[in-house]
Formats: sequence, C-alpha cells, structure tokens
Amino acid sequence: MKERIVVDPVTRIEGHLRIEAETENGRISNAFSSGTMVRGIETIVKGRDPRDVWAFVGRVCGVCTSTHSLCSVRAVENALGIIVPPSAELVRNLMIATLYMHDHVVHFYHLHAFDWVDVVSALKADTSAAARMAQDMSAWPKSSQGYFAAIQARISRFVASGQLGIFANGYWGHPAYKLSPEQNLIAVAHYLEALEWQKEVVKVHTVFGGKNPHPNFVVGGMPCSINLHEPNAINTERLAFVRQRLEEARTFIDQVYLPDLMMIAGVYRDEWGRLGGGVSNYLSYGDFPMAEYGETDSYLMPRGIVLERNLSLVHPVDARSPSEIREYIRHSWYSYDGGDREGLHPLSGQTNLNYTGPEPPYTHLNVEDKYSWIKTPRWKDMPMEVGPLARLVVAYAARKEPQKSFIDDTLKKLDLPAEALFSTLGRTAARGIETALVANWALEVFDKLMENLRYGDSRMVNHTLWSPNLWPDRAEGVGLSEAPRGALAHFMVIEDRQVENYQMVVPTTWNASPRDAVGVLSAFESALIGTPVHDANQPLEILRTIHSYDPCLACAVHLWDESGSYVHRADTF
Amino acid sequence: MMKKTLVLGVGNLLLGDEGVGIHAVRELEKETLPPGVDLLDGGVCGLHLINWLEGYERIIMIDATLDDRPPGSVRRLRPRCVDDFPRLMSAHEIGLRDMIAALLLMGRSPEMDLIVVSVGNVGKPDDRLTPPVSAALPEVLCRVRSLLSPLPAAHERP
Repeated sequence: MKERIVVDPVTRIEGHLRIEAETENGRISNAFSSGTMVRGIETIVKGRDPRDVWAFVGRVCGVCTSTHSLCSVRAVENALGIIVPPSAELVRNLMIATLYMHDHVVHFYHLHAFDWVDVVSALKADTSAAARMAQDMSAWPKSSQGYFAAIQARISRFVASGQLGIFANGYWGHPAYKLSPEQNLIAVAHYLEALEWQKEVVKVHTVFGGKNPHPNFVVGGMPCSINLHEPNAINTERLAFVRQRLEEARTFIDQVYLPDLMMIAGVYRDEWGRLGGGVSNYLSYGDFPMAEYGETDSYLMPRGIVLERNLSLVHPVDARSPSEIREYIRHSWYSYDGGDREGLHPLSGQTNLNYTGPEPPYTHLNVEDKYSWIKTPRWKDMPMEVGPLARLVVAYAARKEPQKSFIDDTLKKLDLPAEALFSTLGRTAARGIETALVANWALEVFDKLMENLRYGDSRMVNHTLWSPNLWPDRAEGVGLSEAPRGALAHFMVIEDRQVENYQMVVPTTWNASPRDAVGVLSAFESALIGTPVHDANQPLEILRTIHSYDPCLACAVHLWDESGSYVHRADTF
Repeated sequence: MMKKTLVLGVGNLLLGDEGVGIHAVRELEKETLPPGVDLLDGGVCGLHLINWLEGYERIIMIDATLDDRPPGSVRRLRPRCVDDFPRLMSAHEIGLRDMIAALLLMGRSPEMDLIVVSVGNVGKPDDRLTPPVSAALPEVLCRVRSLLSPLPAAHERP
C-alpha cells in the first residue's frame, strides 16, 4: 500500500526544507525535496560596487558568513586578474579552517547527533560503566564516574523542569535508536562539551576578521595588519593565542569527536553503511591553496569530479565553461526567457520568479510540475553530490594523501569496504575524517604563515587594481570555494564598474534541488529511496539521511516561516 | 553600578523589515551609552553568537516578529525560558532559539529583555525598512534607552 509522508519543516537545519515521500511496504519508493521559501538575493547586489558585495552576501546566512564573503572577493579577483599575496592566502585558509572545525563539530553534536543518540535513554545509564567505556575510547580527561553522574543529574533536572528546549523535538524511544544507555550518556555529555568548545574556536575569527561576528574581507587580500613586534597589530602574542586555540581544537576533535563518531558508526554500520547513497557523482572545486590561488595543484583539498563512483578516475571541472555547469528550472518556480527545458550557465543566469504552486495551506505539492524555489544545477547534465563526502571521494580517487590513508584506516577499523562510503553513515563519517584533517592542516597553515612572517613577508593586500579606473568596461568572474557543506560558486558580471549580474550556486542547491528537465533525481531525493520508515509520524530515518548532508537552506532559498504552524503564507507573493 | 549589558540586534539585513534589529543597533551606535553597555550586530548568527554573549549579566535583544499586529508595533517581552520566545519569530528563528536554549543548558542565565517589532514585509530582498517599521525605530530606541537608564521608571519597578 502506498502512503505519502510529508516532513515540513525538516527540523534542526538552517532554513526551510520540505520532503514529500511515498512509502510502499515500509520503505520509501519515491521522494521530492522542496525549498519552500524564495531566494532573490542576487537582485540586491545588482548595480553595486563589486568590491562591496562580500559584505552583503556575508549576510545571507548566519552559519556560512565568511565563506560567502570569501567566494565573493574571489569572484572579483578572478574577473580582474588580481593575485592575492601568499600570506593573505594563508590567513584566508585559517579563517576557513576555523569555520570548518566549528561548523562540522556543531553539525555533528547539535544538529545530527540526536538522529542517532537517544537523550532520554542516557538517563538510565550506569555511570560507572559509561566512565569505563569512555576511558577505553579516548585519552580525553573528562571521563570519570563523577563527571558522568553530574551530567546525568543535569540532564535529569532539565528534562524534569519541562523546559526541553533543544531536546523538545526528539523522537525519544524510537526503535531505530540502537546505542546503549551508556553510549547515549557519553554522547550527551559531549554534546554539552561541544557547546563550550565551539565558542572558543571561533575566537580565531576575531583575531583576523575584526571584532564582529561577521568577519571582514577585502578584494585583493585580507583587511588585517600583521606585525610581529607592533603592539597595535596582530603581533606575536595574538598569534600565540591563535595557535593555542587551534591546538585545543585539534585535541577536542581527536579525543572527543572522532571517538564518538567511531562509537556511533560501530553500532549503526550494518544498516546505515548501506542506505542513503543517493546520486553516484561527486563534485569538489577544491580549496586550501598553499601557493598562489591559481595553482590548483597546491590545494590541500583537490578539485575534480568522480563519476559513477569510479574511484580510479578524476575528471577536471571548469566552472566557467558554459557547457559544464547549467541550472535548470523545469521543476522550480522560475521562468527563463528561453523556456522551461533550457539550462543556463550562471554567468548568463536569470532569476525571474514564477510561483505556480498550490494556494496555501496545501496538503501536497504538485510534483508533476514545479515544486521548489531551488533551481537544479547539473554538471554536463549529470546530478552531483557536494560536501565532505564528495571532497574525500575526489581526494581518494586522486590518491591524495593524507586523505587516502585516513579513509583506508577508518574503513579498516570499522571493518567496512570502500563502497560503504557511499551511504548516509559514510557521509557522516566523511565529515568527521575531514574535520580531523582540517585540524592538522590549520596548524600546518599557521606554521607556514609564521615562516613567511619571519622572512618578512607580511603583505596582506594587493591594491594594484583597487581603482575602478583600471578595470575593463566588462569583466566576468567566478569565485569558487569549498564551504563546509560543499562546493560553492559565485558568478559575477561587472559592467561599467558595477555588478551587472550575480548568481550563487550554493552547496544545498546541488544536494536539495528538485528533478531536472528530463526527470533525473537530485541527491536528497535519490538518497531517500529505499530508506525504511518505521513510523510515518516519527520519520527519524528521513532525518538521518537528510541531516547527513548538513543542509543549509538559508542561502539555497530565502527562509522565513511561522515555525510550529505549517502555514505557507510565504509562498503567495 | 550598571550591570554589564549587551544590546543585541538580530535579523537579516537583506530581508527588508526583518533587519530592524540591525538598523536599531546602527542608530544606537551614534549615541553615547552608559558605561558597561555594549552594542552588537548579531545578524542571523545562531549558535555562533554564544561566544559574543559571554560575560554579560543582562542582554537586551531587538528583533522582528511576524505576528498579527500592525507593522511597526513595538512590544517588550521578558522571556525566562526558550518557550517564552514568541511562536512567530522571524527568519533566523531556528538558530536563535537554539542559541538561547543552549545558553540556558550551559547554565548561563543572563537577565533577558526582548524588544520585538511587528513586521509585514519579510521575504522580499531589500536592505531598507518599510515606512511603518522605519517610523517605529524612535520608539525602539526610546525603549532601549529607558531600559538602560540607571533608575527604572516607576512602572518598571518590582
């Protein structure tokens, strides 16, 4: 018997995502992913000074501010041929590495963990057994019986007070939870530790990006002044502070995040190492340049595409080529001058809103026609997955170290074949592996920066092309980066020294988009097929797979919703 | 001595009236505030903001709300727990409510005031406020100033 499940909104993500899924005999047989809030951010930067756009796009989302800003300045630099000084490139890497560590840890503990961890079960744990288990897993010092007893008491008080807060929307007691009470308690304790940890690591941003939660960027480099001996500049003392934060971050990732990930993976691997694979193509623009940005071979995260899960071949990607990346709107609420079947490269992209969906409130979307505010990007007309798994798959296929050895070791520890990577659990594990790699890279980058500074190269900005008088009448630029949740591209057309067209193809656009013009499913839709749903009213299994992608709809679409009541007033304009 | 206080504007600057909290903070930046009072443009940051809230005994938050009141209506709320935040908060609600919940879970309990401005135009990209909400800014600023004044007004006293 067919049943239609609607999950709206998908909780514990930034932004508003709706999933409609058909189930047959307890498994999902068809799925539709819809961003139900419109995006139109491109229109707001039109006509502005290209050098100012970073400040606007940094406001799109509270999670990825710095990576949007970076992508925007890279687009200008690409359009005008500006070379960023080597030390500034390293500072950018430190900014992004910090973002990765923060974002991935927060995702794992605060947005994804409760898909696997049952908070209520943790209250039944034997604290002595939990302490022994934690001590076996890791050298992390906070693992005594007293520590776990105190955590358990704190959670009990919180639950008893009726103020569930973050814990309010859980499906506690669902039979798909498989961890023991002791394992649940360890994870909950670390949920709390991660809250304290996350506020420390972001302090790196305040050193380089200015005293503001929205870090500053500048076309041509970084707007900070480093001088080892100058009290008012970023000096030896401030840099020592940065190194300390980075070391603490690595300790937490190695001693808490990775062991917890392995604990959870060990329990869920048989089922979730097979489910949720989704599309079989993976795209990474690559990032973390260790030389001039144009030298893609220097990237710590390599650029490329893997097709059909073939781990022996990496295809090149050229985001500028009109025949490679195209966005379709056959199932999205937009119209193109050339009609619904057409695909447009973002440099000639159009953003004409065209809502044809049902009048709200509605029960189901008309999935035969248009059903999302997210466009459908394709690479050579093929769907792609982007994100940590895509980056590691590309690195693995490129035989890049240390990625390949790290992946092989992890698979060996879990006694899983390489194919297990292509799953919900593989995606979640890839994020943890990547975090550990980035924690090491951050220190490498830091040491390289110190070396440059000691040799006297503290140049932070290349201002030679700052003046618009030196620009051509028309220029096109593509800014690429790997945001924590995947491949991010900003496309900018500059005409008469102003922004003439701006298009962003963000990670969640690739992953959460609707079907394309010929009906091929994108990543979320494809990954849900085959997933069991034990209880249609508690679709925990759907959340596991969707959360494994770490969706962020804030920039994929424009979110705004009256949470708690599913009134789609927003859809009507 | 004034409690160490943070005036925190939140909202999305690119979504018209949704950014009213940020506009208010930018106005307050032009004024001389009592010692011990800091201003912060929190944007749409969620959990990331916890770092910036550390060390404050009192937080005055300014935000937009999508309720059924006429655009430009200003209210002061005194939330004591997460569930006291209005149901119909705006675009950044998920991050913000999680942030507050996390703060309480971490055992921090700053005194909280929430000044909410009812908005109509949300969702349409614009970095300006609509006339009714723009006209409400002076009242928002006035409320903040009175909350910051060392002697509470008669009706504010316990």
